[in-house]
Parts: sequence; C-alpha cells; structure tokens
Amino acid sequence: MASSGSKDGQLQIKVVLLGAASVGKTCLVSRYVHDRFTSNYQNTIGAAFVSKKIEALGKRVTLNIWDTAGSERYQSMTKMYYRGARAAILCYDLTERTSFDKIRYWVGELQENEQHCRIYLCGTKKDLIDNDTRTRAVPQNEAGIIAQDLRTEHFETSSLTGENVEAVFQRIGEDYVRNMHSYPENQPKQEDDTQQAFHIGKSEEKGTTSSCALGSCFKR
Amino acid sequence: MESILNEEVDPADLKRFELMYNEQVRRGQVSEKAKFEYAWCLVRSKYIDDMKEGVALLEDLFKRASDDGARRDYLYYMSVGYTRIKEYPQALKYVKALLKIEPGNHQALQLEKFINKKMTKEGIMGMAIVGGAALALGGLVSLGIALAKK
Repeated sequence: MASSGSKDGQLQIKVVLLGAASVGKTCLVSRYVHDRFTSNYQNTIGAAFVSKKIEALGKRVTLNIWDTAGSERYQSMTKMYYRGARAAILCYDLTERTSFDKIRYWVGELQENEQHCRIYLCGTKKDLIDNDTRTRAVPQNEAGIIAQDLRTEHFETSSLTGENVEAVFQRIGEDYVRNMHSYPENQPKQEDDTQQAFHIGKSEEKGTTSSCALGSCFKR
Repeated sequence: MESILNEEVDPADLKRFELMYNEQVRRGQVSEKAKFEYAWCLVRSKYIDDMKEGVALLEDLFKRASDDGARRDYLYYMSVGYTRIKEYPQALKYVKALLKIEPGNHQALQLEKFINKKMTKEGIMGMAIVGGAALALGGLVSLGIALAKK
C-alpha cells in the first residue's frame, strides 16, 4: 500500500525524503501535492505520508511519499522509512552549508542498504538566493559533481515560488517507468508473494539475503 | 492517515530496539533515546499487548520529559498507540493535549479528524447494536404475550 509494486494495474513507487531538520522537506511535499506554501514552521513528528497519482511516460503511477523528520531524535528510525524505497530525495538548504554536508551521510546509508533506490539531490530555498546571491552557501557545481558520481539529477527548487518542484517528482516517475523491469516487484510472478520474496532474496547479486529487498516485497 | 496507522514495525527492528533497551535496563541506566525508540516500535507492532506496553513507556517518558518538543512527540505516539488499540477517548485526549502545545500542528489535526470519524462511526454502530437488541427483545416479549394469550 505504501510501498513499491503494482496495484490495480497502477505502478506504486515508494519515495522518501531525507535531509537535515528545517531544510524544507515538508514544504516541498506540500507544494507538490497541495500546491500551497505555509511559512510557519512545524518540525515533522516521525514521518508523514501522502500519495499522489501522476502520469509518467504514458503510464499511471502512484507516488507514495514518506516525508521523514529531520530531527536527531528520529535518526535511527529513519532507516525503517527508506527501506524498500525506489527513490530518495536528499534535501539540503542552499543557504546552509551544514545541511549539504549531511547529504553524504544519507548517500552512504542508501548505497549500503538500498541498492534499488535512486538518489535525487535537491537544493531547497532557491528563492532566497534569487533575492540575494550572497546567501548561497553551496555552489551549484559542487552538488553537480556528487550528482554526476551518483549518475543522478540535481535540482534546485523553491517551494515558495514552486520553481522546479514538479520536475523532481516527475523525473522520479519517469525514471521508474523507464527502468521498471529492473525492480524485483515488477519481475514476472510465479508463486505467491511470500515465495516470490524468498526467491528475490536468494537471487541478490552477491548471494546475500538483504533484509531490505525482502522487506520491500512482503505485502503488509 | 491510514498509512501511518496501519504501518507495522518489522519484527527484526522491534527485536533490535528491544535488545538495546533491555541491555540498558540490565545496566540500570536507561537513556530517553533508547526508551523512546523501543516504545515507538512497540506502538507500531502487530500485537495489542506490545502496543499497550509501548503506550505505557511513552506515558512514562512524557511524565519525565523536560521540554515541549519531546512532550509533543510523545503525545503524538501515545495518541497513535491508543488509536491502534481502538481506545479512542484516550487517543483523543492526547491529541488534544498535543494541539495545546502546538496549535495547528498538521499531523495532529489529521489524527484528530481520523479519531473523531472512527468515534462517530463506532457510536452509530453501537447504537445500532443496542437498537437491534431492543427490537429483538421486544419481539420476544410480544411473542411471549401472544403465546400466553393462546
């Protein structure tokens, strides 16, 4: 339901937002899903969930979006939210250097635990930089280099104006559809779900049964 | 909201946080963090006894909490826990307390709406059951009277 796979002929993609506290993860989701912006800040408790149906490359796709809390209190729990995700939006504040440094931590975590999760870099609060270029704390090419390493795209967004917000999520949908056959949940099914999950676990590249691949396949 | 409430903890995760917590209990020094993480897993367990234990731990954390930020989060999960246990009046009490700390909190408002909806639905169901029983009883009585008259 809130994971990846297909349901009633619709592709389901689990998307997770990660990043330091107050970089604007919730604002990004809120602009995308409800097309609104609120300036009063509330830090997220644990994680919030919202889903949105879109069309990507002619396919109907549901994005199941988990918006995680950035506060330290939830750091060890966040792993449970990115498990089985097919896309992770790593958010940082363009005007806040430390939030960008935190991105490396998430990249490491995801590469280690979630081989099927694509990473998207997202520098937020672009409107602040448009207003005053001196506020920029993260040069565009620096994020670009990481994005190149990860062979993924790098976005700079503003949830205030809406700039580039739609583009991030649309890109996620399209990338998933384009590569859908490489994901375990879209491999031809032979047995029931449990059996299927077991086989997928066994056929992992390195022969190790990773709990993430298993976890994502179990229907809850 | 349903996704948050239906989401179940992976038993392996529950086990992991349980071990950490128990180890600290054994050493006689339990950190707030370990206790919260364990409680957070428990309220999202499949089993009602776990949920109850999780809520109890959260209530204890809440009593000892030193700042409103932590209190707010404990209240949220207490309310989530009681919602999952289907003890809606308790769930409502805690989510209302949260809203006193942070009026307009979006997640709390969503949860409150969900609880109210459930309570209304169960209230109607409850009345239907009571009403149904009254009708059945009425039927029996009239049958009795009819038989007695024969």
